[in-house]
Amino acid sequence: MSDDIHALSGAYAVDALDDVERARFERHLAGCTACQAEVESLVAAASELSVLTEAAPPASLRAKVLAEIATVRPLPPLTAPQHDSADEDVTSSTPPEPAQAPTATAAPGTQLEHADDLAERRRSRSARGLARGWRVVVAAATVAVLAIGGFTVWKQIDKDPSRAIADQVLAAPDATRYGQRLAGGATATVVRSNALHKAVIVTSGMSQPPSGKVFQLWLQDATGHMTSAGLMPGGGDQVVVLSGDASHSKGAGITVEPDGGSDQPTSDPVAFIAFA
Amino acid sequence: MDPMSRFSVVPSGDASPGGPARPVTLEQLLHRAATGDETAFAELYDAVSSRLFGLVRRVVRDPAQSEEVTQEVFLEIWRHSARFDPSKGAALSWMLTIAHRKAVDRVRSAEAARHRDEGYGASNQDVTHDSTAEAVVERLDAERVHRALETLTPVQRQALELAYLSGYTHTEVATMLDLPLGTAKTRIRDGLIRLRDTLGVTL
Repeated sequence: MSDDIHALSGAYAVDALDDVERARFERHLAGCTACQAEVESLVAAASELSVLTEAAPPASLRAKVLAEIATVRPLPPLTAPQHDSADEDVTSSTPPEPAQAPTATAAPGTQLEHADDLAERRRSRSARGLARGWRVVVAAATVAVLAIGGFTVWKQIDKDPSRAIADQVLAAPDATRYGQRLAGGATATVVRSNALHKAVIVTSGMSQPPSGKVFQLWLQDATGHMTSAGLMPGGGDQVVVLSGDASHSKGAGITVEPDGGSDQPTSDPVAFIAFA
Repeated sequence: MDPMSRFSVVPSGDASPGGPARPVTLEQLLHRAATGDETAFAELYDAVSSRLFGLVRRVVRDPAQSEEVTQEVFLEIWRHSARFDPSKGAALSWMLTIAHRKAVDRVRSAEAARHRDEGYGASNQDVTHDSTAEAVVERLDAERVHRALETLTPVQRQALELAYLSGYTHTEVATMLDLPLGTAKTRIRDGLIRLRDTLGVTL
């Protein structure tokens, strides 16, 4: 599919992409400064529309909100590796208050975060929408993964061929989607390209696996046998290439397994997506 | 006077610095909230709750769910206040982005979608230009946005409203407007660009 991915910037800015398109576009966005600037400006333009829908919330909401925040600690700022880095984005014409800046806006793979931020980020699917959309996406797609042990596929994501594979699969002319909605509003969509022999799973709104457990991916063959297709980080939105040749598989599953994964599924799948 | 009128999603520099009652920008309130200042956050709530709740309710429609989502939105804002990056845009725009995303997430989850579908006939009317105009007709900033919307083609405007204000995907919008598949995203983008340029939105 060689459609112009830049053209998705507007739909992205108004949250009008589906999960798979969004995953694809965000991967593009991470490396396309033209789209980054465009998305920022279009997000700002769309925000203006909200003057048309103003409505005061019920008065009771204020007390609920204030009571709730009183019990929650704000997250620390993201700290860039070099605080006064000269290559910090300086396109803003009016310098912000120094203490507010900078949140880390480093390129993929260079950003460091605290472990609790990572855990939090993976818990909260909306973290992506927070720092102007794509900035955090970039961080979530890279940093979050670095901190999780055992996900060899995801290490050094910049150089990682799986990232390129995911991009290719998502954009493949023969890419076929198989989706499923999970409990709690989460979604899992498998995109498979038989030409590339690969499948990618795109999840949205997934919870975390229980402590000491991991999510493991499986491919099912025609006989019903399940073969491990690697581990998958929990939480938030994930894009993970299933390891193995998916072109003859009949479906993909996600199970909860003990840390490190299992040779065979030891629990009922939290999701099974049939390729049919 | 409604204090909200001084807050715009255009850059913070535009938030009239000499405002009589509260010469404090949303950016400053957010910054104070990041240090755990609940009073600042309460002030922030008062300044933006109508904008955020209104947008959420427009997308979600169900009042109880809208309230729930708005509460989640404020919690997210509180927790992530230190992550706001003013070089990427105005604070209000950042908060609206959070609100919009959460609202869209909510309506796209299965049971919420069913609720909304039941009310679709009514929702379609709300999309039209005039009905939204009534509620806000005196407001200068609303008029400004209305004028800007009028510079869009009808299809651009409808596509943008269905996507942003009603939370539909561009594929759904294409179907609803009988557009060839793949063209709704172009209409949305063209409409946003026109809106941006007409409003003079800068970052």
